[in-house]
Amino acid sequence: MALKALDIYKLLPKKNCKECGDQTCLTFAMKLAQGKGEPDACPYLDDNAKAVLGASTRPPIQKITIGMGSRAFTVGEEFVFYRHEKTYYHQPGIVYLISDMDTEESIREVARQVRENCLTRIGIDLLLNGVAVRADSGSGEQFSRAVRIVSEGGDLPLVLIAPDPAVMEKALEICGNYAPVIGPVTPDNVTEFCEFARKYGVTLVLKGDDLPGLATLSEKCLSQKVQNLMLDLSGSSGRYVREATLTRQLALSREVTAFGYPVFMDASESGLSGVVTGIAKFASVIVTPPLQKPEMDAALVMRQNIYTDPQKPIQITPGLYRIGTPGKDDLVFLTVNFSLTYFTLQGYLEATRRSCWLLIVDTEGMSVLTAVAAGKLNEFVIKDAITLFKLADEVNHKTLIIPGYASPLSGRIEEVSGWNVIVGPRDAAEIASFIEEELKV
Amino acid sequence: MNYTYSPGWTTAVREVIIGATPDEGGTRRISYRIGGEQDLPFIGSSGHKPLIAFEICDDPAIWPEVVRCACTKLIDRPADWAAYADTVLRADLIRINLTSTKRRNFSDFDGVIKTVKSILAATSLPLLIEGSADLEIDSEVYQRCGEAGQGERLVLGTAEAARYRSVAAAAIAYGHCVIAQSPIDVNLAKQLNILLREAGVADDRIIIDPYTGALGYGFEYTYSTMERIRFAALKGDMDLAMPLISAPSDSLTVKEVRESVYSHEAAIAWEVATSVAAALAGAVILVVRHPGSVPPLKEAIDTLWTEKEGV
Ligand code: B12
Ligand code: SF4
Repeated sequence: MALKALDIYKLLPKKNCKECGDQTCLTFAMKLAQGKGEPDACPYLDDNAKAVLGASTRPPIQKITIGMGSRAFTVGEEFVFYRHEKTYYHQPGIVYLISDMDTEESIREVARQVRENCLTRIGIDLLLNGVAVRADSGSGEQFSRAVRIVSEGGDLPLVLIAPDPAVMEKALEICGNYAPVIGPVTPDNVTEFCEFARKYGVTLVLKGDDLPGLATLSEKCLSQKVQNLMLDLSGSSGRYVREATLTRQLALSREVTAFGYPVFMDASESGLSGVVTGIAKFASVIVTPPLQKPEMDAALVMRQNIYTDPQKPIQITPGLYRIGTPGKDDLVFLTVNFSLTYFTLQGYLEATRRSCWLLIVDTEGMSVLTAVAAGKLNEFVIKDAITLFKLADEVNHKTLIIPGYASPLSGRIEEVSGWNVIVGPRDAAEIASFIEEELKV
Repeated sequence: MNYTYSPGWTTAVREVIIGATPDEGGTRRISYRIGGEQDLPFIGSSGHKPLIAFEICDDPAIWPEVVRCACTKLIDRPADWAAYADTVLRADLIRINLTSTKRRNFSDFDGVIKTVKSILAATSLPLLIEGSADLEIDSEVYQRCGEAGQGERLVLGTAEAARYRSVAAAAIAYGHCVIAQSPIDVNLAKQLNILLREAGVADDRIIIDPYTGALGYGFEYTYSTMERIRFAALKGDMDLAMPLISAPSDSLTVKEVRESVYSHEAAIAWEVATSVAAALAGAVILVVRHPGSVPPLKEAIDTLWTEKEGV
């Protein structure tokens, strides 16, 4: 169970020497209680304190970084069961699966897809994360051949799937130092795999027959001083959901610290719906055969949605923005500071191939319709933005084009701001035809 | 050793029965119980399996382009379209969206009722009817739909805070259920249920629609609102202990689907992804519009539901 700050304080040396970086032992204890600090920061802990604190103050779910360099990704270190309790922090890596029996071209092609596929939404690049190589051949040579092909770029995080330690060792000789994830670790090979973990610093994926078996394996690894672990909860989606829910609950409540590790999910049987299940329900690495482009996009967007911080919509800074190189006579469009709105609109404005101004007012990150409904987009906010961002200094005219959904405000905007208002279309996709047909400019 | 965790649930979601067989006073070949869950979605041994509803309309002008292309031969024949959804797609439920009533100056009430009756004859699955969206005509539309389906335990929609009386009255008069829709907010969902109860709708005749924002355009709010409604219900809030419905139809018109070169694949992927996530958040009726979405969604729900007993 989680320790309270006061319980932790009792274990500390109470020197108040500030060497941990905190002002007092008590503030340090409070930090540890929130899972925000490392006990090791205090150099004076006795062995008992170290043992007790080590197990109970690390985040309820261990943080693990997979791969090296710019494509490395971090998982774990989660604190809540529901995203609305705070937020989910580390989105799952989506990893494409190949077999070591695949041809060289097809392996290269999958690696290329993972490397290059990129969906840009609301100014954020959504990427796939890595490649999983599965040893179907049973041969160490064959396996390491496939791993070598994927490693050529030297950038993609790897998952190596080979239960036979002899086969695994061949691959580790190639990429062991690049922080791959390796498995499946079972009672049969746990000793050898712990050896690998110590030698290369790799992360182990533990596979038990059932949850008690998984817990036993996890404890065994910890007793061998191996702490970078993941729990393989693959299986039918139904079983996955139940096991992932239960382990997450038991990890967060710290009732079973053996489950305090990120979850690994093999979704190769269940396709897109399996990937979605993993995203929604606590997976940290999801292995899937390459998806069709539309499925991949849906999965990436689902991941972006579920891992958005519920407390703050993704916003952009209010201001007067330029599309192209607008001059004094160019059109002025008005919109809100919700990122999604801005980027959608920007795309369509750029597609018109004409320069214009975009006045973005602060609606606390709400979309047009939501902001109108909530009263966050109103004539006063707009008037203030016109003044604050010195719109009159930039253009020769006094005409604003507002979103179609803001039409109920048009009269009041004109009254309060003194600017003329033209109501634009509701859907930004119609902006080009609106400019041509309605404005005739 | 077997692991368990008790989050302290005290209450079950209410059961709602939709559709009526001849024994139950209707003409449907099957009726469903939905709800009844005593734990989180797909956990534990209680509750009923989520259902898939296929949604059609009686005036395709405002229907998503991609669905119009996928259903070309059926698009103007709602009864045949419904039969196809039943026998070919094998949906669990049919939802007819009376889009014709959303046209300006609509007045063809007889035509609409004829359509509803023809669908009731063309399929023996339970029916959801999505009616008008205009206070002026609501009363007539819902009264007449309710009457046309008397005894069938239809699901009438949509009740909203600003206009729920007509739907409620028709449901009470003819023994139907009601979909209560609020804009992605737990408290608004609760308030609307209270309003409906005060209007005389029984609690076990209400299905909550917390509104499904499109994937990539607000779906995360819907997801969390569904989880919160479910959580509140299990913790004992009886005003929220009604089953949830999700219709990810907005996902069919987002830019990424509309502008995709693989528009059908995109429509299916976005509808299925949204529906699966909604089911994981607690929705037990999933409404889709693209015919290609039904088979993969069915399979997904089946796999989520299998081996449900024990961990
Ligand atoms: C997600 C969502 C929310 C989220 C907020 C998301 C956010 N950051 O804004 C949450 C759940 C918090 C929310 C809250 C509310 N919501 Co809300 N919400 C939505 C939802 C599902 C999607 C909104 C969205 O993200 N759209 C996408 C963005 C990109 O759209 P957009 O900003 O409008 O931009 C488009 C156009 O306007 C146009 N455009 C943009 N700028 C410009 C500029 C020019 C010049 C032009 C020409 C065009 C243009 O281009 C864009 C693309 O086409 C809509 C339903 C829907 N389908 O729209 C309801 C909706 C907007 N919400 C609604 C309501 C009522 C509310 C609440 C008042 C309810 C409540 N809970 O009290 C609150 C208000 C907020 C508050 N008090 O806190 C209603 C509004 C009803 C109405 N017609 O007025 C809607 C329509 C739902 C409904 N059917 O009832 N909501
Ligand atoms: S370093 Fe240790 S003893 Fe010194 S203030 Fe911090 S907790 Fe206290």
